[in-house]
Amino acid sequence: MFGKLNLSAIPLSQPIPLITSMIVILLVVGVLVLVTVKKWWPYLWHEWITSVDHKRIGIMYCLLGVLMLVRGFADAIMMRTQQAMAIEAPGYLPPEHYNQIFTAHGTIMILFGAMPLVLGFMNFLVPLQLGVRDVAFPTFNSVGFWLTASGALLVNVSLFIGEFARTGWLPYPPLSETTYTPGVGVDYYLWAVQISGVGTLITGINIVTTVLKMRCRGMSYLRMPVFCWTALASCMLIVAVFPILTATLAMLTLDRYVGWHYFTNTAGGNPMMFVNLIWAWGHPEVYILVLPAFGIFSEIFPTFSGKPLFGYRSMVAATLFICVVSMMVWLHHFFTMGAGAAVNTFFGISSSVIAVGTGVKIYNWIFTMYGGRVRFETPMLWSMGFIFTFIIGGLTGVLLAVPPADFLTHNSMFLVAHFHNVIVGGVVFAVFAGVEFWFPKAFGFRLHQGLGKAAFWFAFIGFWVTFAPLYVLGLMGMTRRLQHINFPEWRPLLYVSVVGVGILVLGVISQVMQLVVSIRDREKLRDVTGDPWDGRSLEWATPSPPPFFNFAVMPNVEGEEAYWGIKLRAVETQQLSPEPEYEPIEMPVNSAVGIYTAFFAAVFGFAMIWYIWWLAIVALVAAYAGFAMFAWRDVHEFEVPVEEVARVDRARRAAREIFLTQLARREALP
Amino acid sequence: MTDIGLPASVEAIRRVREDPHRLGHRPHGPDEPVEGTGQGGTGPAHKRILVGYGFWIFLLSDIVVFSCFFAAFAVQRDAIAGGPTIAQIVDIRRVGFETAALLLSSYTCMLSFAATNVRNLLWTQVFLVLTGLLGLVFVLLELQEFVELIGRGITPQRSGMLTSFFGLVGLHGLHVTAGGVWLATMMAQVQVKGFRREIVHRLICFNLFWHALDIVWIGIFTIVYLLGSGA
Amino acid sequence: MSNLEYDPHRYPGKLDQHEDHAPGDEPLEDSGHWVRNANLGLGFSIILTVAAFLLAGSHVIYGPSIPVALIVLAIAQMGVHLVFFLHITTGPDNTNNVLALAFGILVVFLIGAGSIWIMDHLNHNMMPMEQMMQMQP
Repeated sequence: MFGKLNLSAIPLSQPIPLITSMIVILLVVGVLVLVTVKKWWPYLWHEWITSVDHKRIGIMYCLLGVLMLVRGFADAIMMRTQQAMAIEAPGYLPPEHYNQIFTAHGTIMILFGAMPLVLGFMNFLVPLQLGVRDVAFPTFNSVGFWLTASGALLVNVSLFIGEFARTGWLPYPPLSETTYTPGVGVDYYLWAVQISGVGTLITGINIVTTVLKMRCRGMSYLRMPVFCWTALASCMLIVAVFPILTATLAMLTLDRYVGWHYFTNTAGGNPMMFVNLIWAWGHPEVYILVLPAFGIFSEIFPTFSGKPLFGYRSMVAATLFICVVSMMVWLHHFFTMGAGAAVNTFFGISSSVIAVGTGVKIYNWIFTMYGGRVRFETPMLWSMGFIFTFIIGGLTGVLLAVPPADFLTHNSMFLVAHFHNVIVGGVVFAVFAGVEFWFPKAFGFRLHQGLGKAAFWFAFIGFWVTFAPLYVLGLMGMTRRLQHINFPEWRPLLYVSVVGVGILVLGVISQVMQLVVSIRDREKLRDVTGDPWDGRSLEWATPSPPPFFNFAVMPNVEGEEAYWGIKLRAVETQQLSPEPEYEPIEMPVNSAVGIYTAFFAAVFGFAMIWYIWWLAIVALVAAYAGFAMFAWRDVHEFEVPVEEVARVDRARRAAREIFLTQLARREALP
Repeated sequence: MTDIGLPASVEAIRRVREDPHRLGHRPHGPDEPVEGTGQGGTGPAHKRILVGYGFWIFLLSDIVVFSCFFAAFAVQRDAIAGGPTIAQIVDIRRVGFETAALLLSSYTCMLSFAATNVRNLLWTQVFLVLTGLLGLVFVLLELQEFVELIGRGITPQRSGMLTSFFGLVGLHGLHVTAGGVWLATMMAQVQVKGFRREIVHRLICFNLFWHALDIVWIGIFTIVYLLGSGA
Repeated sequence: MSNLEYDPHRYPGKLDQHEDHAPGDEPLEDSGHWVRNANLGLGFSIILTVAAFLLAGSHVIYGPSIPVALIVLAIAQMGVHLVFFLHITTGPDNTNNVLALAFGILVVFLIGAGSIWIMDHLNHNMMPMEQMMQMQP
């Protein structure tokens, strides 16, 4: 009746997961009770849960990502402290628990922390920057988000029902096959990642179609903001490589569930084929994460230097170059596995060559700053921290790309330091820069700058204090994922690393305090103009937050940096462009199909993990029924009346009139 | 554009009329800019274009899934673990019938869409039924093949080669089955709701899907069956 | 946004501009050619399929070249499907479709050829000693 599920699945004998689970359950129940008591359900249901608005979905993606980033960080704290305490001592985490923690840390950080954040930024920004009202498939967008949330839910459920995988974030066979992992841990991983992978693919298709086919009049390819180009490249990669992940995990699932022989040790299976295929996905995956991060910086540098981006066309070329070459380097993750000199040489060269694209970008950002009037606001601090950090991380990457060098450093702490260097320095710094930059646009009030700067410095210094010792440890011979350490000479460096983690914790606290203080003081920090940073692209032409239809009348674009031209002309002539003729606007209706499908996807995943076959069938049928019901609906759009459009836009224009006089006064200053 | 207050020259007026967005070049081909091609003159594309293109992108991602299963088959084709070889399990005659059925179903699918374009409900449904029946023939023949093999003890659990064979061919058959379920749903929708805009868009997607499945089958019958039979 | 209700195929002649179209869809001016495309596509496909089936296991051409010939026939037939059934052309209204297809083909080639190359080398270099002994003459 319940498959493999019984009461022994609850980790009563393990204090840490038990206590964590109880706290999490209390928090979740507390939040649910609060929402019920305050009667917020109707608001949440109509405005957020069933919303098909790309801005709302983008914010929910980012919220999910931030929550999972915190959980992943908690795992990281446990790992670093365990290693500091386990030098010729047992530490406090037994191996079977420690292995789950480093697996969960990697899986959560990459797939449920960074990916949702990046997808969230792309969802929120791309339609606004292209001057259109929503993405190509708004309802589908909602489905994609909720499926990602389902995957995240399953990973977190593994904390208190059952266990998680112990294989590392990529479950290499034969360890991940049933023979060596008969428990449910790998199954949790497989179903969580498969379900959220579908969600990611949906966003990929959505953004590619939006960027290629839905831009406002006058916005040709070479007038799009660079963030839209990087979003396009990243989503093209998603469409190209997430199917590889789907296929490979499906093969592993078949091996585990019905005893097939794709990757087994016996009967003609080939474990290295898993390694090959999963990295054919895994390498482009990190470029999927980093390309939009580069796009975020390409928006921030021009804004805070007061100059257009240097070398727009070379930026576009570099982005597409990275997009294509990133699919030709994947073997560098397993140089040491015996493919031989010819194969290693090819992939070593391609891995070194791909650095050229990033190099072009870094030069362009630096030359954007050169000769400009640089303002050192919080987003710019994060960006400059990124330049320094990412250059070093990239250089260590080129070192690792040389096969003979990699034979020494493969799977050492040098590798661990390198990839954290580029992911934290690249993606995480970009996310925080982007949050600081676009928060006023999304929520209508600015963030407290002092706490933001404090958070940056703690993060920047904390990052280097944590990870610089790991580079040295790697070269001293320390391998990754060690639960027990036999070399006391590594002690000082491991202790320094834990101090760094403490500084990072201060950074997290500052970030949280910034949020709390800003919400408390939101009236004082209100963004009335919609353009708090003197922005250059179309999202800054809207009020903060934008109305649900984004633009009352879609803009006509006449050059690069669409909004900058409009703003300059308005300041010169000291008047706004004439009031346009308003027309009623058709917008898509909200839909519950997203959360409905995702709910049954989660139930299906849970049922499959625990071998509860009847529940799995019920969930599948229910999901299909819901989908068919949705397909049968008659009403897809509703019309926004002209009066409403005019009212919203006239309010925007009134705010802009005031803004205009402020700008004129600023220009008049010497 | 005329905010400076000077009289506009003839040249400027012509530029404003012909190139209001200062794209700076004449659109290619016909005089009018072509919607949805990214030249930038026309704004967002029509929903019909969006749906078709989005589905085309999805199909390319599905082809990538198939290519992973093809790659696995290529790697494991000799991993017979003492069991039967490919040449010993393929039945070229039956594959010939399967190919004929699927190819004809692609043809009837096209004819059905021709009927949809002229809004002829009867012939749309007739050709959709034929497509579905031919697809059903395909799936039944394939099921028969699998049942026969398993009856002889040739199962996917036997060897790596058999795993990748059943996996690749089975994945395609699963897609055809799912397509059949979709087809039945579309026929019901067309019957009840007529040729509404969204229904026609979904028929476009179904067409794309069905033709793509036939393209994948060309790969399968060539690489797995014809090459595998010891050619 | 373009008028969402407006369907150019429902009111032929009302649309006064050409539009881009997706594969499998047809531009207004080609509606007369739809059935012709279907017939041509079917005809060519039948020829190529029959040729492939007859070629396999026969002795019409030099034995070791049969696999190459079969693959060429398969690629040709895929092309027939793409052109006649999916209406992929080189017109400006089709550029996005062709580029997407080219990108897809690139990915498939990289994964397929790349995996075969890599796995072949791995299998050869990492072959267990017993298997290597079995391969001795």
